[in-house]
Amino acid sequence: MKIVQELFRDYRFTLGFIFLTALVALAFLSFLSPYDPVKWLQVPRDMPPSWPHILGTNSKGQDVFWEATFAIRNSLLIALIAASVSRIIAAVVGLIAGYKGGSVDQALMFLTDGILVLPLVMMLILVASIMKGQISLVGLGILLAFFGWPWDARTVRAQVLSLREQVFTQTAMLSGKGVLALVLGEYMPHISPLLLSTVLNNMTWSISSEITLAILGLSKLETPTLGTMLYWALRRQALLLGYWWWILTPVVLTLVLLVGLYFISVSLCEYLDPRTRAQRVTME
Amino acid sequence: MDDLEEENKRMKAKTLRTYLARRILQYIFVVFLGLSLVFFIPRLLPQDPIRAIIGQFQQHGAGLDTKTVETMVVTFQELFGLSGSLVEQYLTFWRRILTLDFGPSFFQFPTPVSELLRRFLPWTLGLMLTSTVVAWLIGNIIGGIAGYFSRSRWARLMDVLATVVRPMPHYVFGLVLLILFAYLWKVFPLGGGASIGKPLSFNIVSLLDVLRHSFLPILTLVILNGAVWYHQMRLLVQNVKNEDFVQYAKMGGVRTWCLVSQYVIRNAMLPQVTGLALSIGQIYSAAIIVEIVFSYPGLGTLLFEAISRADYNLIMGIAAISILTVSTLVLIVDLLYPLLDPRIRYR
Amino acid sequence: MRKGVRLMLIVLVVGIVLCFSCLALAQPREETLIHDTVTGVVGTPDDFNTWAGWRWPDRGLHQYCLEPLWIAEPATGEILPLLARAWPPEYNEDFTKMTIYLREGIYWNDGIPFTADDVVFTIELHKRVPQLLMHGPMAEYVKEVRKIDDYTVEIALTKPNSRFHSYFLDRWGALRPMPKHVFEKVEDPITFKFNPPVGTGPYVLESYDPAGYWTTWKRREDWDRSATGQIYGEPKPKYITTRVFATEEAKILALLNGELDLAYLSVEGMRAAMRAPHVRTWRKEWPWACNIDPFVPGLVFNHMKEPYNLRDVRWALTLAINIEEFMTIAADLMAPVSPIHIPPVPAYKKAYFEPMYEWLVNFELDLGNGEKFKPFDPEVPFKLAALAKKKGYPVPEDPEAIKDIFGIGWWKYAPDVAEKLLTKHGFFKDEFGRWHLPDGSLWRIQLSGHPEPTTFHHRTMLAAADQWRKFGIGVETWTPVAFTTLNLLGEFDVNTTWAALEPWGAGVDLYRTLWPFHSSQVRPIGEYVAFDPGGSARWSDPRMDEIITKLEKVAIADEKATIELGLEALKLLVEEMPTIPVYGGIAFLGWSEMYWTNYPGAENLYPHPWHWWPNFKLTLPFLKPAKE
Repeated sequence: MKIVQELFRDYRFTLGFIFLTALVALAFLSFLSPYDPVKWLQVPRDMPPSWPHILGTNSKGQDVFWEATFAIRNSLLIALIAASVSRIIAAVVGLIAGYKGGSVDQALMFLTDGILVLPLVMMLILVASIMKGQISLVGLGILLAFFGWPWDARTVRAQVLSLREQVFTQTAMLSGKGVLALVLGEYMPHISPLLLSTVLNNMTWSISSEITLAILGLSKLETPTLGTMLYWALRRQALLLGYWWWILTPVVLTLVLLVGLYFISVSLCEYLDPRTRAQRVTME
Repeated sequence: MDDLEEENKRMKAKTLRTYLARRILQYIFVVFLGLSLVFFIPRLLPQDPIRAIIGQFQQHGAGLDTKTVETMVVTFQELFGLSGSLVEQYLTFWRRILTLDFGPSFFQFPTPVSELLRRFLPWTLGLMLTSTVVAWLIGNIIGGIAGYFSRSRWARLMDVLATVVRPMPHYVFGLVLLILFAYLWKVFPLGGGASIGKPLSFNIVSLLDVLRHSFLPILTLVILNGAVWYHQMRLLVQNVKNEDFVQYAKMGGVRTWCLVSQYVIRNAMLPQVTGLALSIGQIYSAAIIVEIVFSYPGLGTLLFEAISRADYNLIMGIAAISILTVSTLVLIVDLLYPLLDPRIRYR
Repeated sequence: MRKGVRLMLIVLVVGIVLCFSCLALAQPREETLIHDTVTGVVGTPDDFNTWAGWRWPDRGLHQYCLEPLWIAEPATGEILPLLARAWPPEYNEDFTKMTIYLREGIYWNDGIPFTADDVVFTIELHKRVPQLLMHGPMAEYVKEVRKIDDYTVEIALTKPNSRFHSYFLDRWGALRPMPKHVFEKVEDPITFKFNPPVGTGPYVLESYDPAGYWTTWKRREDWDRSATGQIYGEPKPKYITTRVFATEEAKILALLNGELDLAYLSVEGMRAAMRAPHVRTWRKEWPWACNIDPFVPGLVFNHMKEPYNLRDVRWALTLAINIEEFMTIAADLMAPVSPIHIPPVPAYKKAYFEPMYEWLVNFELDLGNGEKFKPFDPEVPFKLAALAKKKGYPVPEDPEAIKDIFGIGWWKYAPDVAEKLLTKHGFFKDEFGRWHLPDGSLWRIQLSGHPEPTTFHHRTMLAAADQWRKFGIGVETWTPVAFTTLNLLGEFDVNTTWAALEPWGAGVDLYRTLWPFHSSQVRPIGEYVAFDPGGSARWSDPRMDEIITKLEKVAIADEKATIELGLEALKLLVEEMPTIPVYGGIAFLGWSEMYWTNYPGAENLYPHPWHWWPNFKLTLPFLKPAKE
């Protein structure tokens, strides 16, 4: 409880928390939607905001507000899948590298550094342009996870290295604890908060990457996400036709989402580890 | 005493050599890994490049009959040399990479992919390098100053601006700039790399012309990437500001501006060089998107075209050259780093 | 150091701002016509050898530099002789000999006269060199080609062919005569770049972007020695620049800024552009779109896959389409619907649409239980008009104008009838309203479309998927990059291309459209067919084969017999519905009147209006500068 209180003392955390809560609530609203997001021509087209279409309607004959609830939900879903799967990879690689050390460590870090400098979006484009139009939400999440783990694997490794030097490792090892028990029992509690804070950064990266792929027309365009919403609005010239409600909705939602994630992540980092906060936020 | 120093020096030289060897080995590995991915990923596709070319003729309404199509298939098969097992093709692929020959582009047939890359890569590199350097400098300098005076009103304003601008999708931000500065207020051209109607020549007018055309794309990249550097620098400086040597200098009566630039920013700048190396991949991706908005004749626009026409040879070529470019740039920054920071120990 | 950087930046910005005065264009704007290159960045900027392969002919090469013997003119429905003196060509009685008479007084743009030698050389070279695009038919049909005199060529054929001239008839590509004096000196006509291009057209190459973004052409001093100039007079623009934009947004802004005169746009793009007072569209009033493009977007069934080999299933799927909703999604209501497999363009309205109307109205489907159903709905145009009016579009009141805009009618929206047709074959609907196949499994249609969302294919796919989902069928849309390949191989259930191969759009001959339906063209799944539209359906019928065989024996000049056979074929296609035709081809054009006027719009249709078609050279003499 105290932790939470302390966190909320930072205005950025409070703000970020409010932003994200609002968006999650919006995402849950999608289950109440009167419309099927895939079907077209369900409402009059190109209407500016008015009751009952509070955010207007688009050229596809969909209600922008309800479309947005689906978009937020799906984008969050992709980001969560990507973040959690990549966290697992990062934790496993980081733990093994840090714990085993020696040549295993070297080999793993070699691989990690290698993936780190690849132009990731280029690789995503290559994969997505082959699976174009067929890639599901989960598939996209996993694809993003596949490229999103290296930086955090390094962070985990660094943490494990420092933990290894500490007394309790020696104690635990001398008392005959198994490796798995040691890792899960002793290391995980220290690593979990670290992973948690990187979750937010990774989500930011996943959401931005999804938008990039969608703008290039490479994701499943019928599934509403923040990226595909933006894609349709751009491709159907919402900006030049003056349908501001259609293009502004995904842009503002993206901004609120990413700013919220950024605020929470920064303030969480500072709280967790004030000394290294600077280095951590350097990675998006 | 002397012996110890000598020993120290030798150790240093040795670690430097190991570092260099390791770093270059890693570079080779990265390139190998990336390019292998580039080779294997498209092989999963049922696309027949020859039919794709012919389909393209037919889509545009050219009246081809059966006979013509059959002759064309035979001709193209010879030209592409699509034969052999996967291993053979993989070996051929490496032989081709080493000579930078990716075969002909499917869509822009018969132009070789390597020629297209040669034609468009310089534009992308120019756009990307200029904007990276400018964004890095401006972001770090403003971020440093704002970090030092973090309580002042304008620093807070900058914070808000950077926070809001930073997550903007590049495409949308670029498009808004385009509408503002090329349509509503017609200061800059709507796109392209240079004026049309006559070929480019090497003189001052042409140079200015190219600069004028590059201004908006560069501005987009500088603002969006600068915001990232700004944030990072600001946090770094807040840390350095409280370090002992800064406090001593302050007490010692060093003037504020001198303090900010010489003591604080300078010290906080160094880790940002590592950041630069790690972010090159991302900046490259951003440049690709921005090019599309401004019809800039670089790899991004070429890629966009290649994606919509499903030109695999070309997509592969662009991916390969991107991997080469990015990893080489990272290598260069990494190797330069020790020159900038004498304190660095290689390990 | 920081100061230095800052200073440099300031100098840079000031320098850039100072050079505003640089013109964006090297040629005087008032004398230049600028349009976009529809096929994108030119991949072979320094290569103009269009006989050897795809060389982006619409960068100006086939519009302004090269001329064909004959050209199809969809706007008027005529076929015009350009380098030839007359249409139709002269055949002997058993179609084994064709004689071409050439126009006199035409010169190549380097001053050499154009004669029978050039035509003879072109055909002989194609017969000899297998890598040339049109080698196939020349090698197959040409026995001997000889010059009778300077302006007469006689071609002896290896076997009877009443349609041999179609290889020289330009409809976005044909075998156009080559300059003999250029090509005879060339060792390898395949790698030869033909730069600068030597043509008989009224323009010569001025300069081009080595990156392929633009090409500029200049009017010939002796434009009156080109076929275009000789027939139609002086082309008005002194310069023409074709230019590429990476995005549609930029294209629209350029049109608004006056940096572009003619642009090919999407529906939404056109609506955005026409808000500027100086931008006009093909029709000045709604529906703005140009609806005389000779192709028919539609749905293609794979007849080698169950259950699409059943005629009743195909008809059920047709009747499950609510054409009002379909047209809203596919074309924002701006295209004329077409119930038959050719588009309602001028050439076919009188020849086919009018004679077929009665038959369509009385056409009956057998529902199995003795019930009959007349599926044709002549009220469709008026329903579409009412819908468009509701959307706020200014729709004309005149019924003839409405039919011109929306077509003569389409098939009724009759889900109940569709249900009967399906239950007849054992299909059934479960309690959730989902359709099952006769074997009990859920009915899923894999509906494939082109991956590029701005294409007609893609929009047709979205519309059909929406309609059939609402009918209760599980439709999965699929937009593979290998779309064309998979179509040709037959790896699909239903796809969206054209309902039949695009007709000539001029003259009355439908041979080109019907040929892909000939049984000799059918291949099993996994083998390539030659034609994607029509051919990929893998449908054939002995009655169709018979019609095609008969048509081969009818001379092109015998219009009455040609039309009769055409009608017979179209009726057969409606009865069998191997593919569903939906609407007549449209194009959304944005024309800026800032520098040029008197465009060939609907109210003033002289030749045809598309700037990417080779016909555009015929339009140029009629343009007028806006500021005189």
